[in-house]
Amino acid sequence: MQLLLQSLTLALLNGAIYALMAMGITFIASIMRIINWSTGEFYMVGSFAHLALLTVIFPALGLTLPMAWLLSALLAMGLVFVLGMVVQRTLIAPMHRPGTQAFEYATIMTVALSVLLQNGAIMIAGPNQYSVPDYMRPILLEDLEIVLNGSRVASGLAALAIILLFYVLLYRTSLGLAFRGIAQNRLAAETAGLNLKTMDMLAFGIGTGLCAVAGALLAPVFLVHPLNGAAATMKGFEIIVIGGIGSLGGAVVAAFGLALVEGLGATFYRAELQQLYGFVFLIGFLVFRPQGLFGHRERRV
Amino acid sequence: MMPQSSMIDLLSATRKLPASWWPNELTPGVAAALATAFLPLMLNDYQLQVMWVAFYLAVLAISWNLVAGYGGMFSLAQHALATIGGYSSAAAVLALGLPVWWGVVCGGLAAALLGYLLGHATLHLRSLYFAIATWVFAEVARQLITINYEITRGAMGLQVPYLFSTLDPIAYFYLFLGLLLVAFGASAILLRTKLGYRIQAVRDDEELAIANGVNAARAKRTIFAMSAGMAGMAGAMYGHAVGLLAPSQADFSQMSLIIIAAVLGGYRTLWGPIIGAILIQAVAEMLRFSQEGRLVIFAALLIVVFRLYPQGVMGALKILATLLRRRRQAEGKTQ
Repeated sequence: MQLLLQSLTLALLNGAIYALMAMGITFIASIMRIINWSTGEFYMVGSFAHLALLTVIFPALGLTLPMAWLLSALLAMGLVFVLGMVVQRTLIAPMHRPGTQAFEYATIMTVALSVLLQNGAIMIAGPNQYSVPDYMRPILLEDLEIVLNGSRVASGLAALAIILLFYVLLYRTSLGLAFRGIAQNRLAAETAGLNLKTMDMLAFGIGTGLCAVAGALLAPVFLVHPLNGAAATMKGFEIIVIGGIGSLGGAVVAAFGLALVEGLGATFYRAELQQLYGFVFLIGFLVFRPQGLFGHRERRV
Repeated sequence: MMPQSSMIDLLSATRKLPASWWPNELTPGVAAALATAFLPLMLNDYQLQVMWVAFYLAVLAISWNLVAGYGGMFSLAQHALATIGGYSSAAAVLALGLPVWWGVVCGGLAAALLGYLLGHATLHLRSLYFAIATWVFAEVARQLITINYEITRGAMGLQVPYLFSTLDPIAYFYLFLGLLLVAFGASAILLRTKLGYRIQAVRDDEELAIANGVNAARAKRTIFAMSAGMAGMAGAMYGHAVGLLAPSQADFSQMSLIIIAAVLGGYRTLWGPIIGAILIQAVAEMLRFSQEGRLVIFAALLIVVFRLYPQGVMGALKILATLLRRRRQAEGKTQ
């Protein structure tokens, strides 16, 4: 019973962070109609920015804040948001040049970018693993006799809060309305007077920023090292295919579902297969229902 | 996308093939291969080794360029198909006791068969999903090879017999030079057959091609399986040339290397993958950085070149040639 409760809670917390990651990929896919193959590297950059802020820059400035980890995770998100916008404007925006196949161009560019960032990080930081101080002490629930990893609880809750904020942005602001319009139909949105160049840039920044904050929040659990983005990318792709590419609700549902299956499967079936559960779902969906749980066809003008 | 008129030209060409089956590009190709065949007179063993690894990468890049560049199927599984070819060959040689050369043939056939099945399952998907599906295939292949360590020896690597009784790199140099010439010639000839014109018509506009009577699904599957077979055979030869197979060959970084080689040299050109593969191998040898340093240089090089010249080195050369021709014409007018 305790085991079940414990793995359920952990799965819920993991799900929140998976969801952040997957929303980052699927948001970019829904606005720009491309897959960002360097997602995992922006995640990695986010976790390194968080590490640098938390262990080097804050102490150097003499800052001792009560919730320094949250502040530094948000700052890391902001940094990567700006980085993402610069990358989009300089490297990815030319995909709309006449005579260029946008999808191919973006794939080649983001694959190259991922090689550059990943190996650049290995050169700078070495193939080492870094850890950050725990966000919170372990939480003991005496009635249920469960011990929870405090860092996981803290980062899971922070991830939930960011997901909520993102939903408010999308469904309660005019910017969000514009994004939803573009996701439905780019041509119609442009006809209605939206500046797609700016919106693409913002969307890429937001998407990479979400991945970065996921990396920062997961730092105490999965550690900070140059290759930590690869596993995260895998999870992200599994989730967006299950949920349906371009569907944010689908990404959230699939993220929690996958986290549950993984958590329970690892506890009660075979732990070494944990990485493969997602693949099984992924292949099943690709073969039988490629539009995913909530995906739908693009509307035409 | 190509302008419509050239599309129609392509489609009518599927009914009227060029008079000669010998492609224009093949003559300089054979000449270059003959010239390269004399290189061992000047190079030492280490340089020969570096050269044949470049040739191997060039073959993989050619096979990927055929699928992605000419066929419009942006696959991310070429490295995995090569790895599968290698392991299938090992299975044929070690478990069934076949001669090594038969193993290489088995590796190519196994990869072609898997490629056909993979194509059958995924080629109807839109490009976004197709790229992810092939990426998943590669990841699953890598994980299965790693997990089943009782059979594959996992990340420890599987020792396989060598192709030749000698370890002299000259033998492998000629082997991969021959393979490269065959791959280059085969794709050049393939692009002049009916199938070649059909697949290019499908790439430019699938609906229009289907409306003109092209069986798009069959053309795509066939090309995909052929390219998989090419990659699988190359992978099998590589395994028997190095004597060791490892699941890291199906790592995504290998796929990035193939993409970098093909795109840096010239995406959707016949010579591009060869130029790109030799170029990055040359850069790697000149700079003598760590593995990571090399990859950083390659990626940065690709980003800059691709941003400025999406057609890669071949595109830059073409632009240069047009500029020179124009200047000559202008000089001719002034005189």
